Amino acid sequence: MANMAVSRIKREFKEVMRSEEIVQCSIKIELINDSWTELRGEIAGPPDTPYEGGKFVLEIKVPETYPFNPPKVRFITKIWHPNISSVTGAICLDILKDNWAAAMTLRTVLLSLQALLAAAEPDDPQDAVVAYQYKDKYQLFLMTAKHWTNIYAGGPHKFTECDSKIQRLKDMGIDEHDARAVLSKENWDLEKATENLFS
Amino acid sequence: MSADSDMEYSDNDCEYDDYYNSGEDCDVERLDPKKTDPEYFEFVCLTVEEVEKLLNESVEKLNTILEITPSLAKVLLLEHQWDNQVVVDKYRKDANALLITARIKPPNPLLSIPDPLAPSTSKDAVVFGTSSSVSRSSSCSNDDSPRNALISLGICNTYNTVAPGGGIISQRCQMCPVCASSQMGDKFFSLSCGHAFCKDCWSTFFDTQIFQGISTQIGCMAPMCNVRVPEDLVLTLVTRPVMRDKYQQFAFKDYVKSHPQLRFCPGPNCQIIVRSPEVCAKRVICTSCHTSFCFKCGMDYHAPTDCVVIKKWLTKCADDSETANYISANTKDCPKCHICIEKNGGCNHMLCFNCKHDFCWMCLGDWKTHGSEYYECSRYKDNPNIANESVHVQAREALKKYLHYYERWENHSKSLQLEQQTIDRLRDRINEKVMKGRGTWIDWQYLFNAAALLAKCRYTLQYTYPYAYFMESGSRKDLFEYQQAQLEAEIENLSWKIERAETTDLGDLENQMDIAEKRRTTLLKDFFPVDF
Ligand SMILES: [Zn+2]
Ligand SMILES: [Zn+2]
Ligand SMILES: [Zn+2]
Ligand SMILES: [Zn+2]
Ligand SMILES: [Zn+2]
Ligand SMILES: [Zn+2]
Repeated sequence: MANMAVSRIKREFKEVMRSEEIVQCSIKIELINDSWTELRGEIAGPPDTPYEGGKFVLEIKVPETYPFNPPKVRFITKIWHPNISSVTGAICLDILKDNWAAAMTLRTVLLSLQALLAAAEPDDPQDAVVAYQYKDKYQLFLMTAKHWTNIYAGGPHKFTECDSKIQRLKDMGIDEHDARAVLSKENWDLEKATENLFS
Repeated sequence: MSADSDMEYSDNDCEYDDYYNSGEDCDVERLDPKKTDPEYFEFVCLTVEEVEKLLNESVEKLNTILEITPSLAKVLLLEHQWDNQVVVDKYRKDANALLITARIKPPNPLLSIPDPLAPSTSKDAVVFGTSSSVSRSSSCSNDDSPRNALISLGICNTYNTVAPGGGIISQRCQMCPVCASSQMGDKFFSLSCGHAFCKDCWSTFFDTQIFQGISTQIGCMAPMCNVRVPEDLVLTLVTRPVMRDKYQQFAFKDYVKSHPQLRFCPGPNCQIIVRSPEVCAKRVICTSCHTSFCFKCGMDYHAPTDCVVIKKWLTKCADDSETANYISANTKDCPKCHICIEKNGGCNHMLCFNCKHDFCWMCLGDWKTHGSEYYECSRYKDNPNIANESVHVQAREALKKYLHYYERWENHSKSLQLEQQTIDRLRDRINEKVMKGRGTWIDWQYLFNAAALLAKCRYTLQYTYPYAYFMESGSRKDLFEYQQAQLEAEIENLSWKIERAETTDLGDLENQMDIAEKRRTTLLKDFFPVDF
C-alpha cells in the first residue's frame, strides 16, 4: 500500500471519528485490517425516506492509487434503491466514478451516499427493475423499500402482507431472500412471481 | 512454395486495390469525376509528423492573433474543432465566456468550496491568477508583452505557483488537501480556480490519469471543480520520459479526433492519418496498409447505406446473432432432385450436378424467373394486412422480414469470400493453360480484372440490403428494389461467366462487366447522397 494512501486514510479515519455526524450516530467507520486497505462504513437511513430507522453497512476498499482514484464502495446490507443493485450492492454514483476528486474524503463519500438515499436518480439507474418500479408504481416502491429496510437494516415498518406472500413461496421450497427478491421485482404479484420462479 | 503463393496473393491484392482506387481505367473519357463518379473522393494520407506540423501551424496562428500560450491555444482549438476563426470571433466577442466554456476558467471564481480536509487553508497565503502572480512557465514569463487583456482576466498564466513574488508568503507553511502534509508555499501549484495542491500530488495525479489514457481532459483535483489542466503544467510536473511520451500520444489522439478533417486509419498497427476537406461517407483507401473505410464514421465502407443506418443494422445483427445463426449453412438440397449441394463459389446461380436443374441459392426458386426482367428474389413482400394482425403474428412477421434481409446480406458477404477462392482456382487454371502454351499470363489478365470488378459490385450489393431494410415502403423503395434486383441479376451473370471463363469469350465478359458496373453506379447516383 502506497504511503500516501495510508496516511490519507489514517487521517480521514480520524476525521470521521471526530466529526459531528458521528456524534449524531449518522455515520460510522471501522477498520477491517491493519493494512488500511479495507474499511467498513455505516450510514443511517435519512429521515423522511423509506430508509429511515435503518442502518446500512458498506464495504470500502481503498485502491493502491488512493486518493487519485476513488475508493471502491458497495452496500453489504441489502437495499431496494434505483441507484443500488438489489443483487450485488453495487452503487451508481458519479463521485465514485468519473467525478471523483483527489481532495474528496471518506466522510464526503459517506455523506454523499446518505444524500443518495434521500434523493434517488431513477434516470441513471443501477438496478433497472427498481428504477422502473420507482417511476411507474411509486407507492409499491415505497412499500418495498421500507420492507427491505425492516428486514435487512432494522427499520421499523413491518408489512404482514409481504411476509405472508413470502411465506407462501417458502412453503414451496424457495429460499426466503430469493422469494422476497422475486416478489419485489414482480410488484408483489404472487402469481407472476411463481410463474417467474418455476418457468 | 508457400512463400511464393503468399507473394502472388499480395500482388494480386494490390491490383485489386488499384482497380478500386482509380476509376480512370474503366472509362477513358471522363470529364469531371466529381460529377460523374458518385464515389469520387479526394483525400490525402499523412504521417504523424505531417499532422503534428499541421496542428502546430494552427496553434501558432492562434498564438499570433490572440497572443496566448501554445498550451492555451491547443485547449481552445480542441474545443472548437480546430476552427481558428470561430475561436478568434468568440474571443473578441466575450473572452471570459469563451474561457469558462473551454474550462480554462472556473464559472464563478469567487465561490470557494470549503475543503473538509484542510479547513485551515489560509486564503492570504495564496494569490491566484492575478497579474501579480509569478509563473514558472517560461512561455509566459514576460509579463510586459501585450497580453494585458489576458492578465486582466487573470489567466495570463494557465497555472500559478502560489508564491506571489513577495517571498514572505512562500516561507509560510501550508497544508496540501490531498496528501495532508505541510509544505512551503512555493511547493504549491494551482490553476485559475485557485485550488492549490503540492507539486508531488499534482505529478502523482497526472501519472494515474495518464495511465488511464486521460490527457487533454485532466481536471483540477478539488471536488466539484472542472477546470482543465493545460498541457504546460502537465509537462512541467511529469518528469518520467515514458509518461511524458504517453501523455503526448494521448493528447495527439484527442487533437486528431477533435479535428473534423482528420481520421486515424483503422488498419491494424497503421499510423496513417487521412485528411479530407470534405466530411462525408465516402471510401478511403489507406495508401500505406490498403485498409478501406468510410471517412465519416471509420467503419467498413457502406455505400449506399449511410453511417447511422449501417450502425443500426450492425447493432441489430449483433443483437440477433443467435436467431440468424442457422442461416450459416453451406449446403442446401436441390429443390428438384433433393440431392445435397455444397456451395463452393460465390455465384448464387446454382446448377445441380445431378439433375442439371438451374436454381437460385437464396430463394431456391427456378433460375429462369431470375432474369433481369423478373427478379423477385431480392425484394421482401410486406404483408399488407399486418396492422390488423395479433402481436404474435406481427412479431413473427418482423423476424421474417429481418431474416430475409439478413440472409441476403450475409450471403453476399460469404460470396465475396468464396469468390476469393474462385480467383485462386482461376490462377491455377490459367497457370495450367500457360504451361500448355495456350496464351500467356497477359492474355488471361482480363479475368482478374473481371474478378476485381465483381468483388466491387458485390460489395455494394451487400450494403444495399441494410439500406432496403430500413427504408419506408413507397415508390422510392420500389425504385430502389428494382435497381437492386437489376444489379443483383447482372452480378450473378458476371459471377457465372467468370467461373466458367474457358467457355466465355473476352468480348462477352467485358460486355457483362460494363453492364454490372453501370448498374452499380446508377444505383449509387440515385441513392447514395453525396452530402449528408
Ligand atoms: Zn500534496
Ligand atoms: Zn480547481
Ligand atoms: Zn492504413
Ligand atoms: Zn460511414
Ligand atoms: Zn438436382
Ligand atoms: Zn432467388
